[in-house]
Amino acid sequence: MRPVTELSLPYLAIGSPEFARDPVSQFDTARALHPWLAKTDYGYVITEYAAIKDLLGLDAQMRPPHEVFIDAMNARGSRWERFQMESVLAIHNADHKRIRDVVAPMFTPRAANQHRALMRQVISRVLDEWSPKGHFDFEEFASYFPITVMCSLLGAPPSIVPGLRSSLEALGLSFNMIPGFLPQLEKACEVLEDALASLIADRRAGRRLNAGADLLDPLLEARDSGGLSEGELQSLLIFLFVAGYDTSKNVLTFIMHDMLQHPEIYARCAEDLAYCRKVVEESMRYRSPGTSARLTDVDLVYRDVMIPKNTMLFLPNGIAGRDPSAFPDPEKYDPDRQQTNRHIGFGRGMHLCLGQFIARAQLEEGLHQIARRIKSPRLAGTYGYRPFPGVWGIKGLPIEFTPAPRPAEAAALVEDGSVA
Amino acid sequence: MAKITYVEFNGTKHVIDVQPGMTVMEGAVKNNVPGIDAECGGACACATCHVYVEPSWKAKTGEQGELEASMLDIANNPQPNSRLSCQIRVTEELDGLVVNLPQSQHS
Repeated sequence: MRPVTELSLPYLAIGSPEFARDPVSQFDTARALHPWLAKTDYGYVITEYAAIKDLLGLDAQMRPPHEVFIDAMNARGSRWERFQMESVLAIHNADHKRIRDVVAPMFTPRAANQHRALMRQVISRVLDEWSPKGHFDFEEFASYFPITVMCSLLGAPPSIVPGLRSSLEALGLSFNMIPGFLPQLEKACEVLEDALASLIADRRAGRRLNAGADLLDPLLEARDSGGLSEGELQSLLIFLFVAGYDTSKNVLTFIMHDMLQHPEIYARCAEDLAYCRKVVEESMRYRSPGTSARLTDVDLVYRDVMIPKNTMLFLPNGIAGRDPSAFPDPEKYDPDRQQTNRHIGFGRGMHLCLGQFIARAQLEEGLHQIARRIKSPRLAGTYGYRPFPGVWGIKGLPIEFTPAPRPAEAAALVEDGSVA
Repeated sequence: MAKITYVEFNGTKHVIDVQPGMTVMEGAVKNNVPGIDAECGGACACATCHVYVEPSWKAKTGEQGELEASMLDIANNPQPNSRLSCQIRVTEELDGLVVNLPQSQHS
């Protein structure tokens, strides 16, 4: 057994703009020097699919590292610290199960599928507004879709979305570790706390947008019965907005980027919703935004390497699908690929993405409707990348395209006023 | 200990002594039985520890819970005797239990 500090390891600058542009080839280079481990700022990064999968399963020996991010941002005592430390992603004890049990029934595959009509309606409306333009920034367009779905699910008026976008953008960059960014995070938390306090106050006063029950009702019931504290309720609501905003938007933008390279696959998405499911899964394998981070809670021994207690590990589950030892011919984009391994874009272990089934449903429905309305998309300018740690993604994706009219059944959905 | 037989889709049998108090999923994962993914680690949140309980054992393992049934919607070929093995707590009463694994944990 050798201590990790005695190993000769490659270095990966995972926070640099160069890394965000092309992490996959840098991982390939690193694996040539060590099969599964590299050094990075603040700790180590795991570069092999099987090791990422194994380590994400060791929940009893590792904990979320939010305390390190808080200190890196000099954020003790801030609103942002409170939001982060009360977030379900940061809680790693019995409280995690209690909070997750409150929301789990709302996020099952069955529950997600019940929202598909709503998802079709929302994307149809967004397309009605945007597709006649013939060209736009796809990332900006996509930013209105998942968050509007989340608003509808929680009974919040979609009219609040434009006012929340800059705050959600800021919180999506929470883990950039730049202390000067803290004032923007504080402002974002304040804006979201005010908006959600207003939503809760309206609901408690009997003012509601949806005639039927929505996701806010069981959350308030849990608060009233003592299942959630006031702080937990507020953090959970902010978390649902933030998690529902950035990740799905970034995945959808990655998917459109993939489709620009594969017009024949994109054309088929317009015809076949079931095929869209394969495309979403292949894009998630190809790359997705998530990198999990953990602190070791023990002197962890893995594959005969000892990693000391309180060491930061970055587990880039979003690009693990490009590891050739787990996925043959990983650079080939093929929705019909036969594979024994499955991507881990939604993570693994006790912090596995709660919203994965909602995300999958809205990505499939969204891609299908987009492919029907945005024909022959072409890249129409340059684009950049968001920082790799945290929530990676493409920054701005200008496209031009041929708009297609709204299909008849989508028109019926939009004219049905049952959902705001 | 309770002796539990896990039968892979290809017919391969794994007979494992499982400590009461563990779940049927944990008994498989800790003993490297192939065919149980358990992505969420036992939180009834992923439906990748799907098994079919031998009908003669259904009374002792109990029925699907409400959350479990809602998760099983995504499972590969769910049947009335489908269970998520993270939701079956092993007791001495389950000594001799036989569970069959699906072709895949992903639909």
